[in-house]
Amino acid sequence: MTKKSRFRGGIHQTNGFDKELTANKDIITFVPDVVTISMKQGLGPACNCVVKDGDIVEQGQLIGEAKHFLSATVHASVTGKVLEVTDSYCKIQVHQCSLPDKDSDYNTRLIDISHFSKNEIIDKIEQAGIVGMGGAGFPAHVKYRTKSAITTLLINAVECEPYLTCDEHIILEYGYSLINGALLLKKASGAVKAYICIEDNKPHCIEKLKHLLSNVNDNIEVLSLATCYPQGGEKQLIYASMGVEVPSGKLPADVGAIVSNVQTAKAVADMVLGKIPSVSRCITITGDVTKPANYLVPVGTNIGELVAKCGGVRSKDNKVILGGPMTGRCIGRSVSSEEILDNVSKVSGGLIVLEGKFYDETACIKCEECVHACPIGLNPTRIDFAIRNNDLGLCESLDATECIACGCCSFVCPAQRELTYHTVKARDAVKAKQREEANSGKQSI
Amino acid sequence: MENNLSNPHIRTPKTTRTIMMDVCIALLPALVGSIVFFGLRALLVVVVSVVTCVAGEAIWQICHKQKLTINDFSAVVTGMLLAYNLSSETSLWAVILAGLFSMIVVKQMFGGIGNNVFNPALLGRLFLMVVYPMELMKYKVPSGVDAVSTATILSAVKHKTECSYTVLDAFFGKVPGALGETSALLLLLGFAYLIWKKEVNVSVSAAFFATIVVLSLITEQNPMMQLFAGGTILGGCFMLTDYNLSGKHGKWLYGILAGIIVMAIRQWGVYPEGVCFGILIVNCLSVLIDNIFANKVYGK
Repeated sequence: MTKKSRFRGGIHQTNGFDKELTANKDIITFVPDVVTISMKQGLGPACNCVVKDGDIVEQGQLIGEAKHFLSATVHASVTGKVLEVTDSYCKIQVHQCSLPDKDSDYNTRLIDISHFSKNEIIDKIEQAGIVGMGGAGFPAHVKYRTKSAITTLLINAVECEPYLTCDEHIILEYGYSLINGALLLKKASGAVKAYICIEDNKPHCIEKLKHLLSNVNDNIEVLSLATCYPQGGEKQLIYASMGVEVPSGKLPADVGAIVSNVQTAKAVADMVLGKIPSVSRCITITGDVTKPANYLVPVGTNIGELVAKCGGVRSKDNKVILGGPMTGRCIGRSVSSEEILDNVSKVSGGLIVLEGKFYDETACIKCEECVHACPIGLNPTRIDFAIRNNDLGLCESLDATECIACGCCSFVCPAQRELTYHTVKARDAVKAKQREEANSGKQSI
Repeated sequence: MENNLSNPHIRTPKTTRTIMMDVCIALLPALVGSIVFFGLRALLVVVVSVVTCVAGEAIWQICHKQKLTINDFSAVVTGMLLAYNLSSETSLWAVILAGLFSMIVVKQMFGGIGNNVFNPALLGRLFLMVVYPMELMKYKVPSGVDAVSTATILSAVKHKTECSYTVLDAFFGKVPGALGETSALLLLLGFAYLIWKKEVNVSVSAAFFATIVVLSLITEQNPMMQLFAGGTILGGCFMLTDYNLSGKHGKWLYGILAGIIVMAIRQWGVYPEGVCFGILIVNCLSVLIDNIFANKVYGK
């Protein structure tokens, strides 16, 4: 079914930013010789590494203990010998590594999960160190241990970012893993209803999911949504699929919803049904590389190595983006594949090589494109002016704190102003100021 | 530059320059029309006006050691619009004077593109209207006798004198008037191009035109004549919709207010034509209208 309710603003990307580069590329599995596993895999601070140089570790063995409630544990993604340990990473020489198999039992049929209890599933999620694999990296067990009553589970298969197709291929190739994982998550959340939310630009995925779900009677449904970026944003997805807004400062759980990415659902199935913790993920390597592809790799794989496997970077004048082109982070300019030192983490959805273009900021012509595009309803250009003048009070009254950094405002700006950069800067500055005020308020009492 | 490493890493191909170039393209049919109606003298007025505006902007920016922005085509748009507001018989020195006033006083003194309160072309015309009113009254009858100082349709309507022009004449442009006030058809053609390119907000123009039609029906005038004669189409399509001037929200209110003022001036004012004043007055109100209609913020 296609829901009509549409969130505000957003952008309808047309040509030039499409996913065709990797749309028909099946997932390739790849195991490198050495993995470098970061101790910081997601939102919280880095974990404590509990192995030392020279240790032999088994794949799935705990190597990083979480010391903060917003951190998730880290496991060895391969079997091998520890080469180097620092505060921030652990380097392992690979002896052996088995990645989730397409022919595994839980990826070929529906598994009876009735004997798992809610708490059992959540405990396993915590043990597996599963974080939100859509990019946010929020520890999944924290999300599912909410005290609010959950009515709806939304599996986020939207993948609204241009270029990325890894989630799409997870659906196509790991369909049953995803559905088994979704059913486990539904049980873990206590939701009455689960939707697998997907945009209508992926009709083959919708068909596939509908086919797989045809004999499942567990209140789980495919929800086809009209394509629009940033539909994959939690707040936008909740509005588009449920028609409710998450009040400012509240969590999705406060409106009875939990949102999890498809790769998160797959990771849950891998752990609960396959006993493999969160040690691998699918990443799209695309853009200006010779052979764009989707790779399923152990966490810690050097991304430069993957780019080299894709035929390397084609032009010298480039910028390399980790994540999607709209929200990702630039990790290098004018680099070759050997110079890309970053490693695959649990949240890396893609590596995109783009043309190394500089944008010249010109004067705002007050065309309002940013105001129309903002999915939150902010006025980015006014916030931009306010923060450039260091007027935090004005930023606050313009609700800069609500910015989700989706990038729509900068994308549409014909004056090529760095609206997202400044609005995020304003958001963070106002939030810091509010925290400071709250703290000084406490002290005076 | 740290800014340039910030997300998003892809941008729309549409820039200020491409938008302004599209506006120029949209104004071309009317330019061709004015040459057909008034001869090469019309082209001369447009060229002088455009050159003056671009040079005016360049001189200001060079004197103030600012970055030259003449290649963004906004000065060209102002130059064309100013010329479209003048008649083909306007003295060239007057065109130059108005162009410099538009660019330097109205645009650059307020901070350049995006910061001007008023539409530069319209205020340039108003300047001539106040300082050298005779320059604006030398109208030529299209493709025919070299008559100077003939009455426009709207002044005929206003003074209830005999008017030899029909609505169709006004629509196709065989009427005396300023360069861009003659052919509604050619202007609408250009406007359609802008709509197709999604570079114009239609609601403000729609509200403006609808208000004029409704008010002319109420005051028992020919609504089609009110729409197609004078500067209604030029103003409603190309000047009321000017980006930096129409408010961010409440487009409808903006258009309706402009329409009311235009009709009030035509009905009760001393001037036969009120588009210029109507648009300039709502320009002043845009900030107010902005503040009345604020967006709802998600989750608030």
